Amino acid sequence: MAETHSLQDLQQPAVSSKVFVQRDYSSGTLCKFQTKFPSDLESRLDKQQFEETIQTLNNLYAEAEKLCGKSYLEGFLACMTAYTIFLCMETHYEKVLKKIARYIKDQNEKIYAPRGLLLTDPIERGLRVVEITIFEDRSIGSGR
Amino acid sequence: MPGISGGVVGGGVGGPASAPPCPFRPSRYVPVSAATTFLVGSTTLFFCFTCPWLSESISSVIPLYNAVIFLFTLANFCMATFMDPGIFPRAEEDEDKEDDFRAPLYKTVEIRSIQVRMKWCSTCRFYRPPRCSHCSVCDNCVEDFDHHCPWVNNCIGRRNYRYFFLFLLSLTTHIMNVFGFGLVYVLHHRHQLNTPHAAVTMAVMCVAGLFFVPVAGLTGFHIVLVARGRTTNEQVTGKFRGGVNPFTKGCFRNISRVLCSPLAPRYVGRWRSRQAMEIQPPFLRPSLTEAQLEAKILDNGIQNDRHSTRSKSSLDQMESQSADAEPPPPPKPDLRFPGLSRTETEESSLLSGAPPTPSMYKYRPAYSSPGRNHTVPSHPNKMTRGESLNSPSPSILQSSRQPSYRSEPSSLDGATVVGGGVGVRRGGGERGEGPGGPGGTAGVASGGVSGYSLTGRSYTSYPSSLVLSTGGSRSSSMRSAQTVLNPLATLQSEGTTDTSYKSLANQTPRNGSLSYDSLLTPSESPEFESAAHELSPLKPHVPFHPMAMGHPEAVSPSSPLQGYTSPFLSAQIAQQREGQLLQGSTTFSSPHRAYLRVVSPLSPSSLGPPEVHHLLQHNQDLSPRSPSSLSSSPGARSPEPPVSPPPRGLSLSKSPSYSGEAGPQHKPRPAGGGGGGGGGAVLGGGGVPQPASRPVSANHSAPKPGGGVKKVTGVGGTTYEISV
Repeated sequence: MAETHSLQDLQQPAVSSKVFVQRDYSSGTLCKFQTKFPSDLESRLDKQQFEETIQTLNNLYAEAEKLCGKSYLEGFLACMTAYTIFLCMETHYEKVLKKIARYIKDQNEKIYAPRGLLLTDPIERGLRVVEITIFEDRSIGSGR
Repeated sequence: MPGISGGVVGGGVGGPASAPPCPFRPSRYVPVSAATTFLVGSTTLFFCFTCPWLSESISSVIPLYNAVIFLFTLANFCMATFMDPGIFPRAEEDEDKEDDFRAPLYKTVEIRSIQVRMKWCSTCRFYRPPRCSHCSVCDNCVEDFDHHCPWVNNCIGRRNYRYFFLFLLSLTTHIMNVFGFGLVYVLHHRHQLNTPHAAVTMAVMCVAGLFFVPVAGLTGFHIVLVARGRTTNEQVTGKFRGGVNPFTKGCFRNISRVLCSPLAPRYVGRWRSRQAMEIQPPFLRPSLTEAQLEAKILDNGIQNDRHSTRSKSSLDQMESQSADAEPPPPPKPDLRFPGLSRTETEESSLLSGAPPTPSMYKYRPAYSSPGRNHTVPSHPNKMTRGESLNSPSPSILQSSRQPSYRSEPSSLDGATVVGGGVGVRRGGGERGEGPGGPGGTAGVASGGVSGYSLTGRSYTSYPSSLVLSTGGSRSSSMRSAQTVLNPLATLQSEGTTDTSYKSLANQTPRNGSLSYDSLLTPSESPEFESAAHELSPLKPHVPFHPMAMGHPEAVSPSSPLQGYTSPFLSAQIAQQREGQLLQGSTTFSSPHRAYLRVVSPLSPSSLGPPEVHHLLQHNQDLSPRSPSSLSSSPGARSPEPPVSPPPRGLSLSKSPSYSGEAGPQHKPRPAGGGGGGGGGAVLGGGGVPQPASRPVSANHSAPKPGGGVKKVTGVGGTTYEISV
């Protein structure tokens, strides 16, 4: 089937802008992001979806930083083995970070990419911001 | 050996995250090498000479116990030395792309009802999270920064504080063990002290005894810190001396958090998973009208308008908040710059929920943001300082500002610059006085800058520097002040890179004399040219316009005050000439119009209001002074804000609008009129850097070879000659 596609159709859309969701420090230095809906996303995303994503992320980070029995055991074992255990075992935080990365990927695939948005894992920014990239909408039907 | 590999600072080792490698400095490894040598060497001697007798005579558990303690000490020592303390990777440029000089130096957040300030880190390009600090040795921002320990040659931060603390505890224990068991040996062999074993044991005891005092002291200190939930940095700087520590959760919880919390992850050196996300339009939308879609997609300008209104509101918020330290600011200018698309920046989101922020701005030079016209709009609002100080005619400034922007949409590449100009103008309108000074001047400067140089991003720093330096208020911790310290450099080169700003930022804010050089960088833009026309009818006594920095042409030939008006100068002039409106001066004109020429650096104290009388002229006969002269003395411009006065900051008079629209609205002020002295520095620099990117068309270019040469003393102590 001879079908020509314009180059534009095949290219990744250009980045229109980026939105940064800042950390919420109201309860200390725990990793928590603001759930305030950025106005730039108003035209792209529902407020509920955004808040749900951020809230889930906050919960996951809280779980990562929680002082639970698992973290005590990990600390104790590390002391006992002169910290060599870190060579073979993944820390609790890292495990949760992997979970978060999977969650973000899942969210991107299901919710954000279809809307021309992309969530960036905050760990890449040092857990300071959640970066949401807004892509230009170059669809023909958009009437631009 | 830890000492050898101690060079590996716990920073990110190559990974995708950007923590730049530290330069190799051999002297950094001396303490850690010494510590390692003493620790390992003494313990080895102890095990070889003392322990055999101890295990035979008393118990074999003793060497075992000592070995365990020693291994624990060594393990903690290695972890403290090699572990990443929690280094933040550098922020990517797009993260603060919209943050330009308008942004404040500090942002305040409320943590459990206590206000905590987050400072802008110019090196890492983000607002430091609470408890984060930038280590100058490692050149990195570290999370929960405690201190930089030379004995381990590493920063102690969130990730490795526990190991450091345990190292101290175990080392104290180990020293006590060695000393104690050595004493037992010596007491049992006091009649055979001439044997090598006894001699070695005594030597080891001496070393142990010597190190015991400082180590135990440090250990005790850290025990107290852990119990109180403070870092060394906070304790030493007295952050919570009089107040409540928002980070403490009670003694027991503090201790358990230090010792038992999960190991925090590294931020640098992580493997980034490439997100292979297929993102193709058409995109789903949440019930948007077609018109809304179009508006959003189509035009940056539209978006910017929306942004500008948003940013304005955020600015309003900030502005009102920042007035807490200064007199009530004049009414906010109506920002309506088409290019401002700042609302959704990192900072604006921070601002939205934050309590009032002191009016310290980080006047960062604008980065090139193609397609964005940020010109400033929000910025002027932030110039509260300047505004507050000066009597105002903010409205005039605003109005002048706006037209200029509108008239020159294309030139808004340096949107930031423009914005700066606007801001500056506002500042200029008011008298730059005291505290407001810095703000004002910055504002003014920016205004001037904006006028002409959209292309010159660097100009944005100008305003800020002006503000800072003129304001002379050391307290104003403007980020820009820091950044601007290196002023001229930025201005001079078109499109200065981030590095120049970083260097500026790294300078102390007290350096009031931000280099005017930056201010002086002229840039060509049609605005200026048109402004120049406006300026022609300048009256001689028009106070010097800070804005004038920009434009030589603007300074209208007719008035003696032609030429640039550096923010400082204008501040001075403005002070003297009340009520003179700042006109948007196209500050920097084409390079070949260097307005000012630095004649000689004067001592900062020499600046004074009297200098105001000097006008900076950019015109005409001012051949493009080499930027070098301008940049010559960033140092000279040191911080003295002394120049007294207020004028500095805000008197940036706005030279007639760039676009000429401002002209009718404002009284054209000769650039740099009186106030010149202070601002001189600013203007001086001007002429330069921009290689006449745009041929001066309309203007005024006829630089009128002027009559005399006036000397203007810049705030920084640099004297500029301005040909009248």
